[in-house]
Amino acid sequence: MKKRLVIISFFVIIFISFIVIWNFSYQKGLEKAYIPIIETPTGDFIPKERGVFKRFNAEVDYLAMPIDEQYERSLKDYYNNRAYPGAPPSIPHPVANEASFGGNTCIQCHENGGFVPKFDAYAPVTPHPEMVNCRQCHVTKNTNGTFRAFTFDKPASPKVGTGANNAMPGSPPMIPHQIQMRENCIACHAGPSAPKEIRVSHPNWMYCIQCHLPKETQTLQINASVFLRQINSTNEE
Amino acid sequence: MNKSVTNRRSFIKKMAMISAMTAAATMFPGILFAKEQEEGIPEDANLDWKKGPCRFCGVGCGILVGIENGKAVAVKGDPNSSVNKGLLCVKGYHQIMCIQSKDRLTHALVKKNGKYVQTPLNEALDIVANKMKDTISEHGKDAVAMYTSGQSTIPEGYVASKFMKGAIGTNNLDCNARLCMASAVTGFLTTFGTDEPMGCYEDIDHADYFITWGNNMAEMHPVLFSRMLEQKSQRSAKIIDFATRTTRSSLASDRSILFEPQTDLAVANAICYEIIKNKWVNNSFVEKHCNFSKGLTNMGYGLEDNYKFTDKPEKIDFEAYKEFLKDYSPEKVSRYSKVSVRDIKYLAAIYGDPNTKIVSYWCMGVNQHTRGTWMNNLIYNIHLLTGKISQPGNGPFSLTGQPSACGTAREVGTFTHKLPHGVVMNPKDREMAAKIWKVPVERIPAKPTYHATEMFRAVDRGDIKFIWTQATNPLVSLPKTSRYRPGMEKKSCFVVVSDVFPTPTSDVADVILPASWHIEKDGLYGNSERRTQHWNKMVDAPGEATADAWMFIEVAKRMGYGDLFPYSKENHVEEIYNEYRQFHEGTKHGLAPLEVLKKESGVIWPYVEGKSTQWRFNAKYDPACSNGEDFDFYGKPDGKAIIWQRPFEEAPEKPDQEYPFWLNTGRVIEHWHTGSMTRRIPVLHQAMPNAYVEFHPDDAKSLGISNGENIKITSRRGSCTLPASINQRGLPTKGQVFVPFFDENMLINDVTLDAFCPISKEPDYKKCAVKVEKA
Amino acid sequence: MPVKSYLAIPLEGKKDELISALRNFEQCEVVPAKNQDVLALVTDTPNQKVEEVLKEKIEAINSLKLLSLVSGFNTPYN
Repeated sequence: MKKRLVIISFFVIIFISFIVIWNFSYQKGLEKAYIPIIETPTGDFIPKERGVFKRFNAEVDYLAMPIDEQYERSLKDYYNNRAYPGAPPSIPHPVANEASFGGNTCIQCHENGGFVPKFDAYAPVTPHPEMVNCRQCHVTKNTNGTFRAFTFDKPASPKVGTGANNAMPGSPPMIPHQIQMRENCIACHAGPSAPKEIRVSHPNWMYCIQCHLPKETQTLQINASVFLRQINSTNEE
Repeated sequence: MNKSVTNRRSFIKKMAMISAMTAAATMFPGILFAKEQEEGIPEDANLDWKKGPCRFCGVGCGILVGIENGKAVAVKGDPNSSVNKGLLCVKGYHQIMCIQSKDRLTHALVKKNGKYVQTPLNEALDIVANKMKDTISEHGKDAVAMYTSGQSTIPEGYVASKFMKGAIGTNNLDCNARLCMASAVTGFLTTFGTDEPMGCYEDIDHADYFITWGNNMAEMHPVLFSRMLEQKSQRSAKIIDFATRTTRSSLASDRSILFEPQTDLAVANAICYEIIKNKWVNNSFVEKHCNFSKGLTNMGYGLEDNYKFTDKPEKIDFEAYKEFLKDYSPEKVSRYSKVSVRDIKYLAAIYGDPNTKIVSYWCMGVNQHTRGTWMNNLIYNIHLLTGKISQPGNGPFSLTGQPSACGTAREVGTFTHKLPHGVVMNPKDREMAAKIWKVPVERIPAKPTYHATEMFRAVDRGDIKFIWTQATNPLVSLPKTSRYRPGMEKKSCFVVVSDVFPTPTSDVADVILPASWHIEKDGLYGNSERRTQHWNKMVDAPGEATADAWMFIEVAKRMGYGDLFPYSKENHVEEIYNEYRQFHEGTKHGLAPLEVLKKESGVIWPYVEGKSTQWRFNAKYDPACSNGEDFDFYGKPDGKAIIWQRPFEEAPEKPDQEYPFWLNTGRVIEHWHTGSMTRRIPVLHQAMPNAYVEFHPDDAKSLGISNGENIKITSRRGSCTLPASINQRGLPTKGQVFVPFFDENMLINDVTLDAFCPISKEPDYKKCAVKVEKA
Repeated sequence: MPVKSYLAIPLEGKKDELISALRNFEQCEVVPAKNQDVLALVTDTPNQKVEEVLKEKIEAINSLKLLSLVSGFNTPYN
């Protein structure tokens, strides 16, 4: 009798644990592949520098990523998708949910990237995943025509390659574009979705602006007569 | 194959370009084409790479300089250097671009009737030597002074010391390292009895926590910071930033803790309080290896001329120290430091956890402090109480700002109280110097004279009649330049300035001597981790520009001390270094022979039997340990380090109703110190063309100040007008403004206060009271 | 693979316009004179056909007054 009770209770325990585990895995299975959105930091933070170190805490090992040549993006594609260099890119594919801002649709693929078989391409990574109202700036392209005959002088995109942006042979190139909202360099310059011409060879050195500075040229007019030496205030020719 | 085609192609293109330019020249005589493209060097150019250390900060990265046709044309990181492993920062990569600057000093300039006249170097050196001789015979030895630099090479510092102390016989020699490293030196000497860090950069690869004290490493020591970030991502090491300003370093850190200026003293004591209260003290370590002492308090701030102070150390016991700490409970300290109790306990818990390895880093925030020596002592206290010192990944590490602040200023000793070995006050050290220099021992005076600030006060007072500065720019870098600029302009003092570029300091000179830049001469530097690095001359200097060491020797010869300087022009660096090495023979400071330095990318001293000593005082690594224990702090006679009782004291000047803001000064990643080199590099100038004054956005809002607006900053000493910077590079705490000091057109040091630490005599550039108004 | 060099002379006051127009062509390398209204121009094209198209495009630029050939090289692929 006692023996039987032990066996029965044993099976009861097994059955209960089966129900619990099954329920748990079923619930897990219902969750969407969703990565929580990074919160905008509160308190003291420096807006101009906010993206500098972002993404390095994400478990992304850029060095170990193979280069998938078949699906590489080129810089030409990159700029073709923008009205002018620095403009927000338009969405070149059908969107999953027209009613969504994008916070939990776009971000699924564009926060960390990855291969999307449906579009046969790697999803480009956004440098500002904390801004979730994607469709505020990024719009779809639903027709190829224009309303009226159209002309717009698209400025030339910055040149890349050896000697285009660096001062000396082998010295680090300076940043030839604006970086507002794109302070997180690595989003576009590393990983399989990075345009091949601008993919960085050393994404593991996280601190990009240690060597690569934005080209800023605004200078101030200052009275240099403080000193005997009469030079132009900023020592420019 | 591919490569040769592109090469040939670029060659053909170059030829095509040249033919077009030639054609244009025949049509338009005198035509000029943009130079940079004409000289554009093909990528695969056959460069000759030569090794050396970087010219800029104290990290001492190894660089390789690409030489083509006798000109330096490229720089890359030296992959063999264990300091930087091939990485540099933006300043390092572009450093050589400044030497071809158009306003380079290529010839001696002598002021005649208010105008600078180009003069042959020989004649200029005659003038300097005669003036020096005349001044000495008229006003005595102590009327001449020399102010050198932590950028002088080891041989340059050595010759300067031998010339002033051994040949002339005056201690009127100090250097700009007084403005950045003096508190670190006195901190080391008071706690350990011997200067310079016990650990090395390899600590970064072992530590679990990096705690930075008032130190924006991301901008000031970027290469080390990148090494820390690498450990953060690979091993989840943590960075904690403890500062008065939110910076890039704070953004990259795991936790950023802000404190009220000057209260770091109290917070450090509160950490010790918590460590003791929670029984995190490493009792056996403290018993075996530590003593307790206290010194004088209420020492003043050195604001008055001829201020003197000597500390009187007094031994105490652990119980008395515990009693003293009772005033520093986190609850009490939190009230005035504005650091939460939770954060203080958090810091203490990290230091106290016996299973974590911690490195503390600090630089100017701790050193440029009216209680800088105390602050250094207090950080050592924390590491000594927990026994986390002198082990891989565990230890306090004081960073330096100049490439040879350690190698030259501290080791050779270009301070008024120093000799290449020991101090002038010690008769044994004087005897040693006299013997090696072959001078009578009576000639070396036993009393120190002027430290940097006092030296320029003496110039202003008229006590010093002749001053010679090398490789430094005091009229931008001294505190309270509003007093010292008019002082240097006075007729009473003859000013000689050796430099590579004209600076606000050379503007007041009577004679300007053209110096060669670092790769234009042989030399040796010593970095923060005791690494001595040698380089050979790589390119010729323009015009008559000459190495500083050789100009000293030439002047010494003209003054009749030729027999003390029997060096040859070609080989003087090697001869001087070999003479200097005799001062440091032995296991405690042995320097590597030159043949080794020529081969290796730097060697750490003590160099004993062909091996660098990476962790001093630890018997496992340091052959100088002799007490049979695990640790031996052999700088002190009983082998024990001292835990100092140092209280919190207020800053000399605090914000009040009239001057309601703290003023903090500092640096930016693009420019190095006074910018005389980096501002001449187009890439860096374009990225950071001028200084600015940074506000907390709330302060800016309440004052109605917008970004870029001109703001006049005024203190009791002077004023300076700069554009406002809000939410740009950094974020000072509320009630504080921050200004970088690199800009010679916006001299913030006219505003700063020349108060200094009474023990180290190092000025505090980080705290004074100012008012702000729209200009 | 023809490489040709030209001197390009802009219409008065339109030097900068011409420089930016020429720099928009990837195959063009431009070095403007500092003190005269003249530019040195090198074109580098993969074959004769592209080279002709490019020349037509250059000649269509509004700000160009005169384009004169200085030298030409042709290198075969090896």
